[in-house]
Amino acid sequence: MRLGGNRARGREPHTLAGAYAMDAISAPDRARFERHLAGCEECAQEIAGLHEATARLATATAVPPSAALKERVMAAAALTRQQPPAVEDASPEAPARIPALGRRFRALARPRRTALAAAALAAVVVLGAAVVFGFSNGSMRDRLNQAQDSSQQIAAVLTARDAAMMTGAVTGGGTVTIVMSHSMHALVFTAADLHTLPASRDYELWLIGPAGDRPVTMLALGRHDMTGPVIASGLQAGDHLALTAEPAGGAPRPTTPMMLNILL
Amino acid sequence: MTAIQRPAPEPAGDGPAGTADLAARIRLVARGDAAAFDAVYDQVAASVFGIVRRVIRDPAQSEEVTQDVLLEVWRNASKFDAERGSATAWVMTLAHRRAVDRVRSVQKESERELRTAVADVPYDEVAEAVESSLEHERVRRCLGSLTELQRESVTLAYYGGYTYGQVASLLGVPTGTIKTRMRDALIRLRDCLGVPG
Repeated sequence: MRLGGNRARGREPHTLAGAYAMDAISAPDRARFERHLAGCEECAQEIAGLHEATARLATATAVPPSAALKERVMAAAALTRQQPPAVEDASPEAPARIPALGRRFRALARPRRTALAAAALAAVVVLGAAVVFGFSNGSMRDRLNQAQDSSQQIAAVLTARDAAMMTGAVTGGGTVTIVMSHSMHALVFTAADLHTLPASRDYELWLIGPAGDRPVTMLALGRHDMTGPVIASGLQAGDHLALTAEPAGGAPRPTTPMMLNILL
Repeated sequence: MTAIQRPAPEPAGDGPAGTADLAARIRLVARGDAAAFDAVYDQVAASVFGIVRRVIRDPAQSEEVTQDVLLEVWRNASKFDAERGSATAWVMTLAHRRAVDRVRSVQKESERELRTAVADVPYDEVAEAVESSLEHERVRRCLGSLTELQRESVTLAYYGGYTYGQVASLLGVPTGTIKTRMRDALIRLRDCLGVPG
């Protein structure tokens, strides 16, 4: 084959189909090819077929991961909010945050729909306590309606290699689930079914230990009996996680009996 | 029969992962079904970890990426579209993409790294990866039906995580040729493995 021929064909994005299907392209090439795919149904179908082949190359390498991985994945999933499905009224806004994996995965990058906007406010949020506590899944969506500014930080804890899940019971009612990462010195706290306090009292979360008693945050009871997620960072050796019902507005140090005390 | 030895297509089944079941389970996962996700994990974790580790090498990093991939399956289950391909392909495409992205973000690949890495990549590695199960045997046989250049291109690109430009440079072949070989090779693998598409 003549070099000139190759050059000319090289400008034809379609020759990149094989390289694209194997992720063997640079980021600019990938973007260029995906623009091409978006307007070429036949190409998208070819890529789909090639991906079936590469998938077999992948499954041929199967090796079981450590048993601990499953625990981490299930725990993290339980606390990870799912993306809503794409709805077919696509507005033309540019997507972009999530890398599009070609036409077949274009839905990934679609902007969120208004109807789901409230539920979608938080990117990675949280609170599949439904799973942890075995609630029925149909009601999960309603339970997961809280936006969190700290979702990135939360996601980082949930997906940390050493993330570990603990649960505890609150005196007076309610269940607490935490996912903690020692390497990140942080934990994510969620609670279910905390009792409503009289107006003069608010729940306050604490870290208590040799390093002193530090307030983490006041807890606002969420909708549907779900509270959190909130993040507690700056964990130190010997810390306990504690919950008290303080005078409304909170206190600098715990002044009331602990309703929860978990050694971290 | 052509001059090139071409094994008959394998029967197009669901493969070892039972891809039809997998699609159904992923649809359940999209509705937040944790039990279905548990089953999906059991079904795909070894394959995801296998390909991720093949590309990344380091087992600890590979577990991290495997976890990311599985969480992405959980998070984005509603985006799976069975009309656009099998569930296995969806998951493995995510997995491979993530593994390659990790390698490229971590590794500012110098020529030297490339050269040392390549010595132990090619065919032997596939042979090592491919143990004795029926699925492995099929894949090995179909890889064996490729020309040497096709096979090396696929192995370096898919298992090695190299770009076609890097593969071209490693094999001392023009990039245009490598692009073409890669596409030809995958089409041939697809036909040999009898996968739909």
